[in-house]
Amino acid sequence: MLTILNTTATTMADTNPAPATFDLKQTVGVGKWRGFWRMMRGYRLPYVGATVSVGVAAILNTLTFLLIRYFVDSYLDAGEHSWPLWTIVAGFLLLAAGQAALSFNSKRLAARTAEGIALRLRDYLYDHIQRLPFAYHDRTQTGELIQRVTSDVDTIRRFFADQAIEAGRIAMLFIVNFAALLYLDQRLAWFSIIVVPVVLVISLFFFRRVEQAYEAYQNQEAKLSTTLQENLSGVRVVKAFARQAYEEEKFDQENWTKYLKGKYLLLMHATFWPITDILCAVQMLAGFMWAAVMTINGEITLGTYLAYASLVIWIIWPLRNLGRLIVQMSESLVSFGRLTGVIKEEREPVVEGSVHSTTALKGQLVFEDVEFGYEGSDKAALHAINFNVQPGQVVALMGATGSGKSSLVSLLPRFYDYTRGRILLDGLELKEYPRHYLRRQIGIVEQEPFLFSRTIRDNITYGVGRQVPDEEVFAAAEAAAVHDVILRKLPEGYNTLVGERGITLSGGQKQRIAIARTLLKDPRILILDDSTSSVDFETEALIRQALKRLMVGRTTFIIAHRIQSVMDADLILVLEHGRIVQRGKHAELVENDGIYRRIYRAQTRMEAELEEELNRVRVD
Amino acid sequence: MSELIEFEEEEFDAKFTGHTIRRLLKLVLPYKWRVLGFLLTVMAVSGLDSYFTYLSKLIIDEGIVAKNQAALTQIIVQYASLIVVQAAGVFAFIYIAGLLGERIRYDLRKALFHHLQTLSLPYYNRTPVGWIISRVTSDTDRVAELVTWGLLDVTWSTFNVVTALFFMWVINWELTLIVMVIVPIIIVVATYFQRKIIVQYRDVRRINSKLTGAYNETITGVRVIKALDREEANLGEFGQMTGNMYRAGYRAAWFSALFLPSVQLIASLATASVILYAGVNANEGAISIGGIQAFISYIVFMIWPIQEMARVFAEMQQAVASGERIFSLLDSSPDVVDKADAKDYGSLRGEINFDHVDFYYEEGKPILSDFNLRVAPGETIALVGPTGGGKSTIVNLLCRFFEPRGGQITIHGVDYTDMTQHALQSRVGIVLQTPHLFSGTIRENIRYGRLDAGDAEVEEAAKVAGADEFIVALEKGYEEQVGEGGVLLSTGQKQLLSLARAVLAQPDIFIMDEATSSVDTLTEVLIQKGMDALMQDCTSFVIAHRLSTIRSADRILVIEDGRIVEMGTHAELLALGGHYYRLYTQQFRQELVEQIDPLADLFEDDGEGGAPKTPRVQHAEVQHSAVRNSEETSASILADASSPNGKVKDREFIVGD
Repeated sequence: MLTILNTTATTMADTNPAPATFDLKQTVGVGKWRGFWRMMRGYRLPYVGATVSVGVAAILNTLTFLLIRYFVDSYLDAGEHSWPLWTIVAGFLLLAAGQAALSFNSKRLAARTAEGIALRLRDYLYDHIQRLPFAYHDRTQTGELIQRVTSDVDTIRRFFADQAIEAGRIAMLFIVNFAALLYLDQRLAWFSIIVVPVVLVISLFFFRRVEQAYEAYQNQEAKLSTTLQENLSGVRVVKAFARQAYEEEKFDQENWTKYLKGKYLLLMHATFWPITDILCAVQMLAGFMWAAVMTINGEITLGTYLAYASLVIWIIWPLRNLGRLIVQMSESLVSFGRLTGVIKEEREPVVEGSVHSTTALKGQLVFEDVEFGYEGSDKAALHAINFNVQPGQVVALMGATGSGKSSLVSLLPRFYDYTRGRILLDGLELKEYPRHYLRRQIGIVEQEPFLFSRTIRDNITYGVGRQVPDEEVFAAAEAAAVHDVILRKLPEGYNTLVGERGITLSGGQKQRIAIARTLLKDPRILILDDSTSSVDFETEALIRQALKRLMVGRTTFIIAHRIQSVMDADLILVLEHGRIVQRGKHAELVENDGIYRRIYRAQTRMEAELEEELNRVRVD
Repeated sequence: MSELIEFEEEEFDAKFTGHTIRRLLKLVLPYKWRVLGFLLTVMAVSGLDSYFTYLSKLIIDEGIVAKNQAALTQIIVQYASLIVVQAAGVFAFIYIAGLLGERIRYDLRKALFHHLQTLSLPYYNRTPVGWIISRVTSDTDRVAELVTWGLLDVTWSTFNVVTALFFMWVINWELTLIVMVIVPIIIVVATYFQRKIIVQYRDVRRINSKLTGAYNETITGVRVIKALDREEANLGEFGQMTGNMYRAGYRAAWFSALFLPSVQLIASLATASVILYAGVNANEGAISIGGIQAFISYIVFMIWPIQEMARVFAEMQQAVASGERIFSLLDSSPDVVDKADAKDYGSLRGEINFDHVDFYYEEGKPILSDFNLRVAPGETIALVGPTGGGKSTIVNLLCRFFEPRGGQITIHGVDYTDMTQHALQSRVGIVLQTPHLFSGTIRENIRYGRLDAGDAEVEEAAKVAGADEFIVALEKGYEEQVGEGGVLLSTGQKQLLSLARAVLAQPDIFIMDEATSSVDTLTEVLIQKGMDALMQDCTSFVIAHRLSTIRSADRILVIEDGRIVEMGTHAELLALGGHYYRLYTQQFRQELVEQIDPLADLFEDDGEGGAPKTPRVQHAEVQHSAVRNSEETSASILADASSPNGKVKDREFIVGD
């Protein structure tokens, strides 16, 4: 039985029609319910099947009670019957089997719809996110976006899997059973639902509040774990300042607040359930009483009483949950709204552009009066940028944080587009190059290189869209001076998994892996964010050598903080507030008063002093 | 994030050790009356549930069939009043059990947090933060649920089934026997399904955490993805994951969907038997009509308590495993414990003496062996040397984050293990390589150094540390939020704040662990100034790569392989021409040699007042430096490492090809 169940469950899942990927943009801007409907494309039939199953199951449920009514009236009460006993028992079992099958079927179909829609949403959103422009990512917080694509998608999934179907079930139970009650006795039927609107209103009111209280409770939990997390990751600081007592007090405050919020939530639950219990039970009892009196007076049969007593339960109690469902469904709508907010964002057109080149770039660049400002900021990040670069030259960018260095290099792969002026790449306007093409030709080594949580080998080959033979990977790693480290220091060599954000590797190692990655990509233009400041100088030397190998024959932009990394450059640009304030070669710049010389002096003062000391030593 | 989730999904084969269960029960011992209270209430509520069905039978048999309206009224009144009683019971058990659950969660978390504060650094070095967080959050949740709601549900369910069977027996014992055959079958099937469903959903959660990880990585790494043009390949990989998610989710839903219909179908067999029995014996009056109705109700509604029982038992395994993990954390003992008679000896401004100190994490792999060092009050000691040489271990020992395995460390002549940890650590100020801030305002973060400091003192400390300038430029100044972990600030700014925090603490001992290695030049200068101000009053230990940070130290220790290989002032060590000299030249000279050649000219220009000229190349012996060997370096300086008498005898400059 176990194996059969397992295989069946798996096969059922696999036989799902592959969801036709369609542009989810269609679900945007047409109203939420229509959006939901469009989202269901390809799943409408199964879902209709699920709904129908629920309805028929409700009818069979009611029929069961009517069958028992017949049984009681004809067999037990009157003692006369037209159907033999076995038909009643068989009928009862058939109805039960039918209900079971339908109930299973409805949930299965609903699950298939829900999982299918969720799958499609996830795939679409994932692709969407990686194709949205930087401007979007700049203004969106990672945590918030993740929240949307995970929990909002899950809310939508639950909407289809549980909420909509359950609401349909409750509605059908109500309709069918109420119709049956009307058939049994009209006055009784109407009398039995007096409490329904009251309970519905109370539960709506209540669940709306409960949802809020629950959210507050959950948020407090999040706060609590943040406090804990900060304490744990700052354990050296806590210990060094002997702040354990203070920390405990801080934690206790959050912990206690959570207790109080939990208490409030409980109090609400502890009030709601008994109160509605009483309301529903009183309604039920009153119905019993009246129906019983009617039976005694011979107005209805005993079987009818029994059927009534059973059916009324199926009307009243499910309705108590309807309030919760309605609140949950309205939250699903909110989730849907948030998702469409992401979906409606325009993707970055990566293949658009009039230049259709398949050959490699030369790397000659001309900046003419380039101006650039970030979206939503009225201040331009770059003003009047003018300079020329010949293929293979090295341009160094210096300046304080926020002076525009990163903005300037971000224009090259068209992460952002300049707002004024021209950039000519090999004589053609940069904006005419498709982004894909440009990005294949430009290599970037960032200050804190981002490695993915996959193997070292995969990280090195991450940027090339082909199978790379081992020798090539090794060669790249060797040129990046990291081959030996990978083989000797890492537990599984090239197959070692990088922890998220490369936590198991040192900064220098990550840097060199990123260099290997870029070497393998073999770009024509190189952007280096000089990052040797956070590594010891032994590693620094290795990185410098690796970079030198990387730069050969490529137009290179270096964002640098230390004079020693820019001395070789063909052109040094010093930026301040988005403008080029100094330009030239090292030898020229040290001659003139300016930022460059100030930085140079700050960095070399020590050296000069040390030289002096050396001399003094010699004197001794 | 992903680390956290992964640990949460860690599998444990839970052995139902009586020991763990006993300890779990001990958790509720302080609240035994409340537990007893809600258990009794829930029994009453559960018993009433069964009794109500019996009352419905009485309505039919003694009211309707007997045509006795007085009896009917009496039964209904009894029913109604019991409903009110039951409602009160429901209120009571939700509130008592729920509150107790919250309370136990609170207690457990408090105890865990307290214990975590006492654990020593080695524990944190070997235990991932994500693991600990899961223990404190989800495991406490599970345990609290088990000992309250789990206990309650099982009691309710068991009592409900038992009382239902009791009333059935009262109505008709023969039919009850049939039911008693069916009940165990339902229990077995229900338990099977619940187990299965839990396993399925665990799969779903596991895949889901992978999905979240993938999203997270894609969003944070979007720059690289775009730059490397990886979108297509990524979508393909992600599509596989969502495909797995689809299958796992559907499988789980499939089993859940199958569960209820299956048990209902089995239950309907029992109902059918009742009908058959009643129909066959219709004329003998073996069972009343009300009795049949009651039997059908009992059977239909018996599914719920059984389902609950099955669920709790299925979850119990996990909850006990959670309990075991919690206890394992609570049982882990701190490596550093205050002695019973440990005291606070006051100020630490005395001689610090490392006396034959040994330290290792693993036996046989010594980090420090026979380490000796005397530090005079107010002295500044700089520690330099390669990574892994033992520099950090020395300051960690000094802070008593670990204790020496052999030998002792004395301050003011007192073995520091005779002091309380608080006495020592509250007088130490520390600035780490990766500055750690707590969420809150800038002011709060600086005040962390001394909690009773006034606003003016906080600002004064910021000024000393050179942080004031950037703080006042912020929109809200000192009241600006730093964000979780200080994400809203740059590394340099965070470093300035942690320096200000240390300044405010007015420590007796000040430690800087690579604090300037990841900041830009201008910030480095600021930090340097702040440090100098602080170090005037303290005994200081500075670990640094950048020699600019350490050259002003009173004494510089070159640490290699857990030993002091060289010691002296900057000038002395330069003169020594050994390791320090090499470190220095490697860092500062290489580029000079490359760029500002010829060297000799530089020396000649710098030589003052008729200093003797250094011979340019004394002899052409090339010694390969082990530390750095670059074929691309146009010129390299290779110095003689051995200088036996501590004086520079000669120096070789080899100008490479």
